[in-house]
Amino acid sequence: MIDEYHNPIPLSLVEAPASGAWRDGKRAARIAFAAAAAAVAGALSGSANVLQGQAGADGGPIGGVRRIHGELRDSASGSALRGAEIQITGPVTRRSRTDAAGHFEFARLPAAPFTLRVRLIGFAPLERVVDVTSGDATVRLSLRTSTISLDSITVTANALADPLARVAATSTVDAAELAATRGQTLGETIKFLPGVSVVQFGPSIAKPVIRGLNSQRVLVMNAGLRQEDQQWGTEHAPNIDSFDADQVTVVRGAATVLYGPDAIGGVVRVEHDRVPDGGSLKGDVAFNGFSNSRQGALSLGLLGGGLQLPLVGRTGYRLRFTSRVAGNSAAPDYFLTNTGFRELNGSATLGVHRPWGESEVMLSHFSTELGVLRQAHVGNFDDLQRSLSAPPPDSSFSYGIDRPNQRVQHTTLRVRSAFVLPGAGELEVVFGSQANHRREFDNHGPLRARGIAAFNLKLFTNSLDVRWNHGLQHGFVGTIGTSAMVQGNQTLGKAFLIPGFDLSQAAVYAQESYAIGRVTLSAGARTDVFSQTTLPFSDAGIRSEAGTRRWNGFSGSFGGELRLTDALTTSVRVARAWRPPTVNERYAQGVHHGTAQYELGRASLDPERSAAVEAVARYSTTGTTLEVAAYSNQINGFIYLQPRAPVLTIRGAFPAFNYNQTDARLDGVELSGTLAPTSWLRLQGTANAVRGLDRTNGGPLFDMPADRATLQARVVGTRPQLGNWYIGLGSVLVREQDGVPAGTVYQLPTAGYALASVDFGSANIAIGGHRIDAAISVTNLLNTRYRDYLSRYRLFVNDVGRDVVVRLRVPI
Amino acid sequence: MQSIVRLSRAPLALTALTLALVSCKGDSITDPAGESEVITRVTLTLTPTTGAAISAFIEDADGNGPNPPSAQVGTLNLPAGSTFTGAVRFENRTVTPVEDITAEVLAEANEHRVFYTVTGAGITVNSTDLDGAGRPLGLRFTAAAVAGTQPGARTLRVLLCHYDKQVKPAVAASCTVDTDIDVSFALSVPNIV
Repeated sequence: MIDEYHNPIPLSLVEAPASGAWRDGKRAARIAFAAAAAAVAGALSGSANVLQGQAGADGGPIGGVRRIHGELRDSASGSALRGAEIQITGPVTRRSRTDAAGHFEFARLPAAPFTLRVRLIGFAPLERVVDVTSGDATVRLSLRTSTISLDSITVTANALADPLARVAATSTVDAAELAATRGQTLGETIKFLPGVSVVQFGPSIAKPVIRGLNSQRVLVMNAGLRQEDQQWGTEHAPNIDSFDADQVTVVRGAATVLYGPDAIGGVVRVEHDRVPDGGSLKGDVAFNGFSNSRQGALSLGLLGGGLQLPLVGRTGYRLRFTSRVAGNSAAPDYFLTNTGFRELNGSATLGVHRPWGESEVMLSHFSTELGVLRQAHVGNFDDLQRSLSAPPPDSSFSYGIDRPNQRVQHTTLRVRSAFVLPGAGELEVVFGSQANHRREFDNHGPLRARGIAAFNLKLFTNSLDVRWNHGLQHGFVGTIGTSAMVQGNQTLGKAFLIPGFDLSQAAVYAQESYAIGRVTLSAGARTDVFSQTTLPFSDAGIRSEAGTRRWNGFSGSFGGELRLTDALTTSVRVARAWRPPTVNERYAQGVHHGTAQYELGRASLDPERSAAVEAVARYSTTGTTLEVAAYSNQINGFIYLQPRAPVLTIRGAFPAFNYNQTDARLDGVELSGTLAPTSWLRLQGTANAVRGLDRTNGGPLFDMPADRATLQARVVGTRPQLGNWYIGLGSVLVREQDGVPAGTVYQLPTAGYALASVDFGSANIAIGGHRIDAAISVTNLLNTRYRDYLSRYRLFVNDVGRDVVVRLRVPI
Repeated sequence: MQSIVRLSRAPLALTALTLALVSCKGDSITDPAGESEVITRVTLTLTPTTGAAISAFIEDADGNGPNPPSAQVGTLNLPAGSTFTGAVRFENRTVTPVEDITAEVLAEANEHRVFYTVTGAGITVNSTDLDGAGRPLGLRFTAAAVAGTQPGARTLRVLLCHYDKQVKPAVAASCTVDTDIDVSFALSVPNIV
C-alpha cells in the first residue's frame, strides 16, 4: 500500500507548528497533508519528484522577508557539488540547484521552519530542518557518496541515489507503508504497487510477479544479497521475514546490468536501515492478529549504537525476532484444509562506522513450515478432474499442519564493508553466504519412509561483490563492479525434482549517469559468464545427463530522463538482457501434484534473450501525482511449458508439458496516481494491464496477470492525543482473465471480481506517555467469493474471504 | 590505516571461516525411490477351481517416469461358465531385492482399496477380503465368466485407491481420492472348441 500517514516528513512539520501555535490546527494539517502528498508522490514515482510551491499553487502568499543561503560539498573530497537539487518545504515550497561553487539561495521566504532536502544522483539524499522564524539562515551541507543499487541502505528517504530510479520505473514501499501490511508475505506487501501482482498458493505462499514475469525471472535481493532459495519454483516463496524490512523497492523491467541475469523481469529489493553509529537503545514490539486464519504475529526489534566490543570498539547493532503462527484460512463458505503455517525468524547485525568507512556483519535465520491445500494434491489426471468437479469439502479450523507440507530453513551470513576513497567515492565489498534447506513432504508414502521428505534440497551459495561507487567524476556518476557466485545444490530426497548441480557465475559491469541541463542520461553494460554442471543420479530411470554447460552473455541498457517542466518529467529506456536456462527447466521430470501435470525438462535449452523498451511520464504537483508507464518486452527463446501428448504411467495418465522455447512479447501499461482535492481527503489509484503473446502461434502466454485496478480514498487528520489518524475505503477491481493458452489445466478463464476493504488507524497515539501505532483493516469486506487467475488453488477452492486485521506497534 | 587493518580483521576472518564451512558441492545422493509407493509391476493371478493358475502382469519399468508401461505379459482367458479366485500383487522392481508393496497395502488396509471394473458383458469381478473395519479391500477377489456369454475380448481396469486422511467409505463404486495405480488388463472369453 502506498500510504504515507506515518511519514516522518509530515510529522516533523506538524510538530513544529504544533509546539508553538497548535491552535492553528487547520494550517498544520494542511502542511502535513501537502508534505504527505508530496512524499507519496515520491514513493509512487520513485524518482526525484518535483514538488511545486504549495502556496504558489494555491495562490497563497509567496513573499516574505527571510533568506536561506547554503553551500554544498562532497563529504569525502570536500569539493563543491554542482547541480544538486535543493528543495525547501514549509509554508511555501521552492526548488533550486547548486551553482558551480556549490552555492544555493532562497530569498523572500516567510518566517517559518522549513524542511530542506538535497538530492544529487550518486549521493545519499539529505534532509534537514532549517528554521528561519527568527532570522536568516546559512547552512553548510555535505553529501555522502551513496552506496547505490545493490545495497541501498543509505537510500531510505528516496530512491534518487539509485541510478535506475531516474530512467526505470521504480516504486518504493517505505517503513510506514510496510507497517500497514506487516504480518503478510513479502509478495502481499508489494502487490499494490503498479506493475506488480502475485502468484499465490493460499495465504502462505506468494511470489512477486513483475510485468507478467515471475520466479527465475524476478530477482529478490535481501539486504544487498541475491536471495538464493530455489526461487525457480512458483510454489517456493521468498524466505524472507517481512517484519525485517525497512523498505522494499521494486524495479520494473530488466535490470540485469546491476543485478545479473535473474533480473530479466525486474527486481524486488528488501532493504534494511543501516545500524546506528551511536544513540540510545531503541526498539519496537509489533503484534498482528488476523481473524481469517487466526494468525498471530509477534515481532521484536532492537536497534542501538555505542556497544563497546573488544578489539572493535564502538559498534552499532540491530536485532529482530519474529514469530508467525496461522491456521487454516477460510474462503467465504469453507475452510481451506491444511493451509496453516508457522514461521520463526531471527536476525542480528553488528556494524561499525569509522573514518575509513563502515562495515556490517549480518546473520539471519528464517524457518517456516507451511501446509499445502489438501485437495490440490492429486494422484493422477482422473483425480484432478474429480477434484475440479467436486464441491470443496467443508472442514474445520485447525492450526495443525498436515501433509502435504513444506519445511524450509534459510540462513544468511552477510559481510558488507564500504571503504571511503577520498575524492573518489567508495569501494564496497559484499560477501554473502546462504544455506537453504527445502523439504517437501508428500501426502503419503511407503510406510517405512513416511518421515522422509519426498523432496529434499540443500542449496549453498557464496557470493562476492566488489563495487566502486565513484561519485561525481568528470561529470559522471556511477558504479563499476564485479560479481561472483558459486553454488552447490544437493538433491537428497526420495523423489526426483531436480538433479544436484554446481553453478558458478562471474560478471563485470558498469552503470553510469551523466546530467546535461534538463536531461539525465544513463547507460550500463555487463558481461556474465555462467557454468552449470549437473550431477545425475546413478539410477538409470532418471533422465539427467552429467555434463557442464557454459554460457556467456551481454546485458546493456541506455536511457534518458527529460525534465519538461518542474512538474513533468519523461524518461525512455531500452534494455537488452539475457538469462541462461535454470536446472529445473533443463531437467525437470515428474508430476506437479497441485495440477497433476507432468513436466519434462529439455537439457539443450538455450538462454532467453530480451530486448525491451519502456517509456515513463511522471507528473507531480502539490496534491496531484500521476505516473504512466508503457513497455514492450520481446523475449526470444522464451522458456515455457508446452503441452504435449499425455504421459502414461502405471498410476494412470497425466497431461504433460515439455519445457520449450518460443519467441514471446509482453506489452503493458501501468498507471498510478494520487489526488488530494482537499486537505483532509486523499484519493489514490493504480491500474495495470499486460498482454503476453507467443509470437510463433499468435496465442497468449501462460500465467499472465489479469487486468487490475485499485482505488482508495482516505480521510486524514491530526490530533495531539490521537496522532495522525486516517479512515479509508479501498477497492480492487480485476477483469476476467480471458487471454489464456489452450491445452493446460489453466486454460479455464477466471471471472472478474471486485473486492472492498476498509481501514482505519493512527500513528503516534499518545497512551500513558508512549506513542503507539494502531490500525485495523478489513480486507474482502463483503466476503466476496472469487478466484484469482494467478491463484494456484483456483482450480479447487475460492480465495480467502473476509479478514479483520489488527496491527499494533509499541516502541520500547 | 592501522585501524582499517585491525577492524577489517573480524569480518575477513568470518568470511574465510564461512567459505571453508559452507562451500559445499552439489550432489545427487539418495536413490530416488519415489515419493509415494513406487509400484512398477501389477500382477493378476487367477486360480480356477480345478487346474493350473493363470497370471499376467503389466510393468512400468520407470515407475512414475515418463516412459509408458509395457504391454501386458501373459493372457487371461476366462472360459464361459468358469469361476476363478483372484489375487493382485503390487511390486517395486526398481530395487533389489524386489519390494512387495502388496504387504504394505495390506498393512494399511484401512487406507486402501482396489477397485475392479470390467468393460464388456458377461464377466463379474467382486472383491472378497475386508479391512480391519469390515470394508472391502480388494487384494483378493473372484472373477466369473457367466455361462453362455459371447466369446471375445474384455477389459479389466485395476485401480488402487489411497484414502490417506479421508475416511474410507464402506460402499464405493470407484476411487474418489488419490490413485496409486490405474492399469487395464486384457481379458478374453475364449471360443469353446
